Amino acid sequence: MTQLRNVAIVSFAQLPVVARDEHRTAMEMLSPVVQAALAACGASRDDIDYQIAGSTDYMDGRPFGFVAALDAMGSWPPRHDNHFEMDAAFCAYYAWVRMQAGECDTALVVAHGKVSEGEPRRIMNLQLDPYYQAPLGLDPVASAALQASMVMARLQLSDRDLAEVAARNRCAGAKNPDNLVREAASPEQLAATPFVVDPLRAAYLPAIGETASCLVLAAEGKAERMCERPVWIHGAHHISELQSLGARDLSRSESTRLAAQRALAMAGLDRADQADLVELSAATPAEEWIVCEALGLDPRSSTPVLNPSGGPLCAHPIMNTGLIRLGEVFRQLSGQAGERAVPGAERAVAHATQGHCLQTNLVFVLGSQRRWS
Amino acid sequence: MPAFTEPPTEPIKYVDAHVWLPYDYVAGDYRAAYLRALKEKRILGSRCDRTGKVFVPPVSFSPHAFAPCSELVEVADRGTVTTFCIVNIPVIGRNLELPYVAASVALDGADISIFALIQECKPEEVRMGMRVEAVWKPDGERHGDHEDIQYFRPTGEPDAPPETYLHRL
Amino acid sequence: MKRAVAVVGVGQTHHASRRSDVNIPGLIREAVDRALLDAGLDHSDIDAVVLGKAPDMLEGVAQPEQFLVGALGAHLKPMLRVHTAGSVGATTAITAATHVASGLYERVLAVAFEKQSEGNAMWALSPNLPFTPPLVAGAGGFFAPYCRAYITRSKAPLHIGPLTVVNARENASRNEYAHLRERVTIEQVMETPMLWDPIRFGETCPSSDGAIALVLASEDLAKKGPRKPAWIKAGFSLAEAMWVPGRDQVSPRAGAECARLCYERAGITDPWNEIDTAEIYVPFSWFEAMWLENLGFCAEGEGWKAIDRGDTRFDGHLPINPSGGVLCTNPIGASGMIRLGEAALQVMGRAGEHQVEGAKVALGHAYGGGAQYFAMWIVSGEL
Repeated sequence: MTQLRNVAIVSFAQLPVVARDEHRTAMEMLSPVVQAALAACGASRDDIDYQIAGSTDYMDGRPFGFVAALDAMGSWPPRHDNHFEMDAAFCAYYAWVRMQAGECDTALVVAHGKVSEGEPRRIMNLQLDPYYQAPLGLDPVASAALQASMVMARLQLSDRDLAEVAARNRCAGAKNPDNLVREAASPEQLAATPFVVDPLRAAYLPAIGETASCLVLAAEGKAERMCERPVWIHGAHHISELQSLGARDLSRSESTRLAAQRALAMAGLDRADQADLVELSAATPAEEWIVCEALGLDPRSSTPVLNPSGGPLCAHPIMNTGLIRLGEVFRQLSGQAGERAVPGAERAVAHATQGHCLQTNLVFVLGSQRRWS
Repeated sequence: MPAFTEPPTEPIKYVDAHVWLPYDYVAGDYRAAYLRALKEKRILGSRCDRTGKVFVPPVSFSPHAFAPCSELVEVADRGTVTTFCIVNIPVIGRNLELPYVAASVALDGADISIFALIQECKPEEVRMGMRVEAVWKPDGERHGDHEDIQYFRPTGEPDAPPETYLHRL
Repeated sequence: MKRAVAVVGVGQTHHASRRSDVNIPGLIREAVDRALLDAGLDHSDIDAVVLGKAPDMLEGVAQPEQFLVGALGAHLKPMLRVHTAGSVGATTAITAATHVASGLYERVLAVAFEKQSEGNAMWALSPNLPFTPPLVAGAGGFFAPYCRAYITRSKAPLHIGPLTVVNARENASRNEYAHLRERVTIEQVMETPMLWDPIRFGETCPSSDGAIALVLASEDLAKKGPRKPAWIKAGFSLAEAMWVPGRDQVSPRAGAECARLCYERAGITDPWNEIDTAEIYVPFSWFEAMWLENLGFCAEGEGWKAIDRGDTRFDGHLPINPSGGVLCTNPIGASGMIRLGEAALQVMGRAGEHQVEGAKVALGHAYGGGAQYFAMWIVSGEL
């Protein structure tokens, strides 16, 4: 594998995830988070070469909603800038690509949006093709349920298998003060919740909420001055699949497998279980089963540690979720994960996803040491 | 979608999809304070902690200095037209007689301009530098929303000198 | 940039007010298929796809890149979706180019489109901010006051706006892909209804359906291709905040700075003489005069004079928008990439009837938001 430029996460900040912030607009939530992330790595706004945001107009409920973020992020004097209609983890990926091209040495990656202002189930129905799938009224819970029943059939999973994965996330998440849901629960308790769309029970659905988050990336040479223990990117890749629910095997995530294969190869690893911890953006336990299989992991195994943050089941601030997985890895590997720290963690995998039924998947491999010398 | 009693004989060329999405927006404490103050015929801005610049409507963070704007301050309800256009297209959601003038108004005391409607004069009479004042809804009819200011009208004062508005939008 | 990148294929649709002969995937395929054909490649040669388009409210589909993976040939490939308002097409092309420059990708497909006939464009373009009084209908209402400010500051005569349209339509008559292709006279433009004084109906861009795709390749692969490539000498995307005290929306700093960075990287010190032609984003007539100054082609207050002298005509010293530009074709999400793609076609020598003879260096430019986003690139026929 070719030699790449060492790039690290040097700071991460977020607000605690809430169901609805009644006092602040999305922009008012974003500014203090950017300020906090910069303060944590001793950088001024002008020290940052590049900025990129992830958000979606439909969630904002206004066309061009993201433009206001230019003000909220302090875009004066003019900044090198970009914006994707995607989870900000994909923005972090592109910032990393820009660093590889030598176009910047530091980058600010943010996610913003107030999901409480709209109805995510209606909005996400509109992601489906407008000719055949959207008119069926499929919302993300229904499509996730379709996928769940397929993987349960293929892998012979029972409701108990989903409940156990959900309970593991809930127990871990109870230790994370940034989560929306912070109550541990047993598989029995979770399996007693009613079905929302069979086979997905209420307790198997993600805790949708809102927040703002900000990640600072820096290349070797700068990263060391900004953070005592930078968390280095060893590899990254993402892959998309066709959206049509009938056009792919929903019980498997080929895109995750391919993305992980390339990211791991860059990192000089053969398998994801060579990492100490893995943060997944799987929104339901069924998705977690699918993503684990694609990564060559067993969701029932305790190594590597899966979702020490509690994952999306405990907090799913749409557009932030993937970036927060990177933020959690940063906290873990830089020794800032408090009560939920995975002791001795040196290597981690972070996963982000977009679209119904795990349509697009992004895998990062990170470590506490530089990958290339 | 049309209801078919017989199978269609022509290929279906169009899909009529009415998108209906409800949104419940948070105004945020700053904007809420601004709107409530309109009921009392007061226009509020916020002052940047670092530079002292005043933003109307108030913002929590200055985009210019990237610093918090902690203090709410009152600005005048009169100011200068920095630029404008005469509009001949109806606005969705509002009943305005055409043509009307939409102007950028620099209120006295504010460092950025607001957009406002100019009335009580012929559109041709509006000019850059013209001094204008807010016309409020009468007492008892103001509810703490942006319609509390009906429009701005010329004050009759002499025009502001060009240096004050030409390079300030 | 770490390594050289070139445009090796360009494909665009025949832009029209309503492409009722294709659905959204079909519109994209028209552009993508043409770009691949142009480059002598097929989908298996493409490593990644970057899609750009403007507000998704324009078509009523949220994040349509998700359902368009097939049409884009992006199945089992990396795909990203850019959205930077009106500049998006250009930012997308630059994003795709950076992928190749990074060394991680060899060939990337950049695609931009808008099928805005399928939604309510006027609504989607009017500032619909909550807790803010609705005041202007359409983007023109937002920009017209700044055009007025330019006219006042520069003392430009009022025929300049209409003259800009005359030149644009004259150019579009030579571009088979353009939407509005009929020539017009100054008098005809001045007879059209005034929409937002000083901008008349005849001085505004149309609402178009259209798409464009570019194939970007690394140096080695570009040299092996069947076509003469367009080498990207520089490309940047900058943005600035809106509510900055003293900010100038007539000549925004982000635009001037973006141009300065491009010229510096491309080794250009005298844009007026070193650039052979420029495709710049002019959605309302007066922006051509304003951008000539903002881009450093003309000194402050002198942009309108270049137009008046005929310097910006197809046969002038610096032909502006030989394709007809945004005034003749505006599928919002695509327009920025059409500017950059047309600039590439010029230096590749492949602009057909609207080829500027001997064009070696060209600028492609786009802007978006409240004149906040600026993205541009400089391409050359020589590496």
